[in-house]
Amino acid sequence: MSLLKYVQNLDRRIIFLFVGLGTVLPIIFPIGFPISVTAPVQIIYDRIEAMEPGSVLLLSFDYGPSSAPELTPMADAVMRHCARRKIKVVGLSYLILGGADMAEAVMSEVGRDLGLEYGVDYVNLGFKSGAPAPMIRLARDFHGVFPLDNRGNKVADLPLMRKVRSYADIDFIVELAATMLGDYWINVVNARFGEEMAMGTTAVSAPRYYAFLESGQLTGLMGGLKGAAEYEVLINQRGIAARGMDAQRIVHIMIILFVLLGNVIFFLERSTKKYSLLSG
Amino acid sequence: MQKQVAVIIAFVAGLMPIIGFFIPARVIRETIVGTLDNWLIIVSAFALVLGVESVVKVNVLKISRRQKGWFNSVIYLLALFLMAIFGITMGIGERADGSVTPFTWMFRAMVDPMTSTMFSLLAFFIASAAFRAFRARTVEATLLLVAATIVMLGRIDIGAALRIPELTEWIMNTPNMAAQRGIIIGAALGGASMALRVILGIERPYLGQSD
Repeated sequence: MSLLKYVQNLDRRIIFLFVGLGTVLPIIFPIGFPISVTAPVQIIYDRIEAMEPGSVLLLSFDYGPSSAPELTPMADAVMRHCARRKIKVVGLSYLILGGADMAEAVMSEVGRDLGLEYGVDYVNLGFKSGAPAPMIRLARDFHGVFPLDNRGNKVADLPLMRKVRSYADIDFIVELAATMLGDYWINVVNARFGEEMAMGTTAVSAPRYYAFLESGQLTGLMGGLKGAAEYEVLINQRGIAARGMDAQRIVHIMIILFVLLGNVIFFLERSTKKYSLLSG
Repeated sequence: MQKQVAVIIAFVAGLMPIIGFFIPARVIRETIVGTLDNWLIIVSAFALVLGVESVVKVNVLKISRRQKGWFNSVIYLLALFLMAIFGITMGIGERADGSVTPFTWMFRAMVDPMTSTMFSLLAFFIASAAFRAFRARTVEATLLLVAATIVMLGRIDIGAALRIPELTEWIMNTPNMAAQRGIIIGAALGGASMALRVILGIERPYLGQSD
């Protein structure tokens, strides 16, 4: 078999092996490639940096385990930034598959690390079905929509929630979504109630939300692992996203090389066919 | 008669939020539309119960007929009921002392890694599929190939000397944004016209038919 034929019919397990090694090795042995910060992420950082201590940020965890590698580092970085600035965080979720637990895991971990007090510095309201109806109701009545938090406490008894009763008591919203729930937030909470918000989403979904960024409906946008890594760089705390970017860099280069190789074979094969047709 | 009642309910339930959006009267916005919103939250919770009923029915049938993969259905139903029982009786989330409830432990130790594993397989299949299928066969395919390569490089901060990161942002902010906006506006118009057809009773998906 010629080399051309061999490469053309390359066993996909060889490609899998390359991708596997390209992913695992940089995570075990971090390289620390530089990460530049883009404007849509910088704007979110600046907006939170400009908030007064004691103001309230609403963090919506509308993603499940499948998107957690991209979105959990964003939640973690935003939460740590808020804690440093003494900004209170209210978490909630409209996604049934694990959204409330994503919130619980991130908020509890950051709370433990930085010595935050539950109910005073942060609250996880948990999951509510039927979005966008609860999004509309929250404009008037947080305590009615979420009478109990994720841990079963009465929301009205939590010190932080005594001053949070409607969107008017929220200073900024960060929505982390991997589903259509991001659209609901923009169309209902921003467009109807004029609440200022930013968004973090998966790399696959990010192109869709540039339209909302351009229209001013989103203040800022974090897209995929790169967006999370940029935020980690901004808060000067390189974490799992920055480490993951080493792997992403290597795998992206691999995929580009595989695509180039595939096209070189394609054109070589086409020219060989043309030549054999012309020569008879 | 039953059909007419259903159509009237759909008409009123569809019309009230529109009226409430444009007329700021407290009785409409707070009392009527507010109540409808609360009902919607409750009805959507019942939809979850219907979903459970449906999967139980399908899987019980599969087990009783010993169809191919019936044992997977047994595991599926066991997992469904175990998680529900633990969640309802012992609560969810973390306890005040930092320990987790059995429901949350099962979610974090089983559902979480299994779902992540399934999703991470995409990286391997995308690499293999790109090698075999991403070819510059036509002008459109070439444009897509070039744009994808630039964006992939821009997303990993390569090619600063060639201004690749800036070019990536331009692709996302200009041609991509224009196309996305067209799609969003088109989908919104389609959604609005479909909603109007449902409100006026032309489409009746809630009756299991359309005419």
